[in-house]
Amino acid sequence: MKQSPELEDIQRKMQPGRISLNGFLGSDRRPLAEILDHDHNRVRKLRLTHQEIADRLKFFMKKARRGLGTPVTVEDDFVVRAEEWRGGMPCPWPHPGLYRKGIITLQKLSTGEKLQWTPLNVHMIREHGFYEGRRSDCRLDPEHVARVLNLRTPDKL
Amino acid sequence: MSIVYALLIVVLLSCGLAVLILLAEAVLVDYGECTITINEDEELKVEGGKTLLATLMEEDIFVPSACGGRGSCGLCKVQVEEGAGPILPTETPQLTDEEMESNVRLSCQIKVRSDISISLPEEILSLEQYEVRVDKIEELNYDTRLIGLELLDPPEMDFTPGQYIQLETPPYGKTPEPVYRAYSIASPASEPGHLDLIIRRAPNGICTTYIFELLEEGQTLNINGPHGEFYLRDTDREIVFIAGGSGVAPIRSILYQMAEEQIERKATFFYGANEMRDFYLQDQLKEFENKIPDYTYVPALAQPRPEDDWDGERGLVTEAVDSWIEDASFQGFYLCGSPGLIDAAIETLTPKGLTEDRTFYDKFT
Repeated sequence: MKQSPELEDIQRKMQPGRISLNGFLGSDRRPLAEILDHDHNRVRKLRLTHQEIADRLKFFMKKARRGLGTPVTVEDDFVVRAEEWRGGMPCPWPHPGLYRKGIITLQKLSTGEKLQWTPLNVHMIREHGFYEGRRSDCRLDPEHVARVLNLRTPDKL
Repeated sequence: MSIVYALLIVVLLSCGLAVLILLAEAVLVDYGECTITINEDEELKVEGGKTLLATLMEEDIFVPSACGGRGSCGLCKVQVEEGAGPILPTETPQLTDEEMESNVRLSCQIKVRSDISISLPEEILSLEQYEVRVDKIEELNYDTRLIGLELLDPPEMDFTPGQYIQLETPPYGKTPEPVYRAYSIASPASEPGHLDLIIRRAPNGICTTYIFELLEEGQTLNINGPHGEFYLRDTDREIVFIAGGSGVAPIRSILYQMAEEQIERKATFFYGANEMRDFYLQDQLKEFENKIPDYTYVPALAQPRPEDDWDGERGLVTEAVDSWIEDASFQGFYLCGSPGLIDAAIETLTPKGLTEDRTFYDKFT
């Protein structure tokens, strides 16, 4: 799949050592346009929007932050923890703003399933529909996120 | 098929032309000597052709930048009075409408191609680059290190306790360019030839991975500074410090200052962690109670383990602050830690009278 020079430039910024040590693409060698397109279709099949997924991640992130680094129980079935560092991270897409350096970890007690994401992930999902590349540190498979976070998908309707 | 060939030829010709233009600019175009006028006063004669950020750096003027000049952090903004040309597409994402109207530009994106006139704050003009040697690496706990730096050239830094430096991580591994990160100075200003930094490892962090995996004693590095507006205000107000994680660093430097100057203002330091293994420098922070006339150290553990044998404050550090401080309408509050801690401290204290003019924290948090 061909992609615009703008997406080429963004994909360059996602490489390891540019914004973060390991970058955002993991082992994914596909053009960014293809990664975005593929995940967009997966989210559509779930009858969800990127905004709904980002909202749910943000909900847990805000709950986790109240623990100042200690685990917090949410909705009786989730334990979330936010670790933060001083400083900020820019988004690979060109726009103003830095996002907090931190990592949110979540465990679903009833299934043992785990997720981890960063404040930048929430922004990249909401604004750019980007869930990171395959096997990257904070790759969030839409189906996995929807299942773990109890999002309303066709199989639950 | 012939249409495909025609398109291919056009594309190849366009690419070739673009390469030729770039080569011609690099080899043939000589911008000659240009003048950078700073604050309508100082004039620098420089060789044209490089970015404003790089040119100023060569002249030992260090405009803050966290992304190595890639136009992604937006920290290197400079007001350009004239000579920068139209705003570039690579700048617009980082500039607000107001900034564009005020001629604020990204110094890493614009090139010095003719005489140029800029405005810089005095704080930036006083920054210097220092070559330093790592003379100490001390493990403070499982994810935090104290790095001691001996200043080589220049041999001393005149800083105010509470300020920070920017450390340059050289290119390594997959990191192709130098990367700069801000770290607070944790040592006394009375020892200007030596700096302590307290650095907590951040997963996937370019700079902290270098510091924890590659940095060795005896190695030389570059730093620039001092930066920042986080320092003890010269008033009679009671002082409240609130910190977590590596936020101890600038407060430690201020505590040395208070001990050396025998500052008699009442001061309380609330320091929070999860469990005992997260704490470090406990004895030293407590020992300041014997060196500073009216200082109290209040450590708080959110989730102490039974083996921690903890008899101090229990709960989040903000809960300790909440129980100790009934009225927050008169003190000066010095906050240092993660953005979440700063937000939580402000949220706790605002209903008790905290106001913005008495609240201080580093912008880089």
